Amino acid sequence: MKINFKSVTDIKNLLAKKEISSKELLDETFDSIEKSSLNAFISLNKEQAYKCSEAYDQGNLHGDLAGIPIAQKDLFCTKDLRTTCASKILSDFIPPYDATVVQNFNDAGSICIGKTNMDEFAMGSSNETSYFGEVSNPWAKDYVPGGSSGGSAAAVAAGIVPLATGTDTGGSIRQPAALCGISGIKPTYGRASRWGMIAFASSLDQAGVFARTAEDCAIGLNQICKYDPKDTTSVDCKKEDFSEAIKRNIQGIKIGIVREFDLSNLDDSVQNAFQNSIKVFESLGATFKEISLKNIGLSVPTYYVVAPAECSSNLSRFDGVKYGYRCETPKDLSDLYIRSRSEGFGDEVKRRILIGTYVLSAGFYDAYYKKAQQARRLIKDDFDLAFNEVDLILAPSSPGPAFKKGSKSSDPLEMYLEDLFTISANLAGIPAMSIPHGFSNGMPIGLQLIGNFLQESQILRAAHHFQLETDWHKMTPEGSMQ
Amino acid sequence: MDNKTIETISYLARLKIDQSDKENIVKDLDKIIDFIGQLQEINTEKVEPLSNPLEMTAKTREDAVNSDNNKEIFLKNAPNSDEDYFLVPKVVE
Repeated sequence: MKINFKSVTDIKNLLAKKEISSKELLDETFDSIEKSSLNAFISLNKEQAYKCSEAYDQGNLHGDLAGIPIAQKDLFCTKDLRTTCASKILSDFIPPYDATVVQNFNDAGSICIGKTNMDEFAMGSSNETSYFGEVSNPWAKDYVPGGSSGGSAAAVAAGIVPLATGTDTGGSIRQPAALCGISGIKPTYGRASRWGMIAFASSLDQAGVFARTAEDCAIGLNQICKYDPKDTTSVDCKKEDFSEAIKRNIQGIKIGIVREFDLSNLDDSVQNAFQNSIKVFESLGATFKEISLKNIGLSVPTYYVVAPAECSSNLSRFDGVKYGYRCETPKDLSDLYIRSRSEGFGDEVKRRILIGTYVLSAGFYDAYYKKAQQARRLIKDDFDLAFNEVDLILAPSSPGPAFKKGSKSSDPLEMYLEDLFTISANLAGIPAMSIPHGFSNGMPIGLQLIGNFLQESQILRAAHHFQLETDWHKMTPEGSMQ
Repeated sequence: MDNKTIETISYLARLKIDQSDKENIVKDLDKIIDFIGQLQEINTEKVEPLSNPLEMTAKTREDAVNSDNNKEIFLKNAPNSDEDYFLVPKVVE
């Protein structure tokens, strides 16, 4: 039976009716990984996965997601399963514990089939900075899948798994979801636990999920949006049932369009898709209003101070002493630190560590770091004001569709601008999602829905009702599903 | 970015920059610093810096032992260790 592109609920039903065994499901899954040749995975978890499938087939694996195959981004620590963060410096690292997000999915009975490729330490927008090689976009092999969670997005887009995890520090879930033609959501900062996530920029990092539909994203978020005492920034709020919340219609919902986002420079197809999606929401009873986020233009420069600063601090833990790569025959301790780090990190990671060190160093701190934190406040205040007037904000997910491998990797600034529309949600800590809403030159493009603090259900609800009216989420690299 | 600055920050970051790459790296860094420099033009008088979107006080917990001693498991990931310690090149002659 062909299971590719089936939803979480479909697979659940097939398993429950015993139309397919968990073992057969895994056979198909691993077979499609091999056939796809996308390089979407860094490590496979075959042995342990088959143990779980055996347990399922014998009636010993239970939970909301029992038997559902899931791919974990290789940034989440997985007990006894290599976790590399796509870096040479962690290429042999075997964590002694599971990240909370991984634990959440294990507790729900889902089966982790492997660890997905990504930009090294989640620093990149094309998956080209991985030590383990670039990932191909399932829609066209010579195109990037986006990043940093490119492997997870590609695995879902290619129909290998119905659900995958990702992390989003400046757009690392939403941009690859857009470029691969699938759905992906970054919850509110603090809503999913960061415990066991290898840190990049701690005040921005957030875990989330990829799936084909908003409905499946809701199923995924139900597992990970939980208070975790192990994460000091975990938000202790009431647990929500997102699958239930998305059912209510969106009649009367107020949606904002950002005056400062100038779309006139974008491709005609991107502009047209945006206008058409507005019409779809209007037909569903939504009303639109122009809103102003007057400091939004500061988002990218603010981010490229805050994120490298936090990264330079977080990545100081990789010193060749406690875990990870150590250089050969160090002549003294200083040589050990310097050579282990210089040989272990890739170019983009080094670039960000250097920028971060620079903006935090004596004499520059006030001019850059403090200034960026003040700009961050201005950006967040703008969102607070806007959400007094609207329930959701609509914007493109990325400036354009996927680009060819190698076409932007020589200019870091050009790559940074890929996240032009996504970065502000991380700075403000608010939830945001990308769903497919059209094509540009045969490649998918994404629509971004940004919600207020803890308003994931609002975003998912609008996305779900959009998907009930449209077929973009049913398009696959192998053709339309229906 | 002058030579002295790049040497200082690469030392602080414990990263070695090869002479052959130096020109390109400095060029990229200069470009990025120029780009983030636009922040200096904005008026942020009386704006309180925002370091974390939650702005909540970090929670504390009771200082109690809540798991077993995992020393052996953690040492297993070390590039070099003996029974109790991480091993590094000799520091004191």
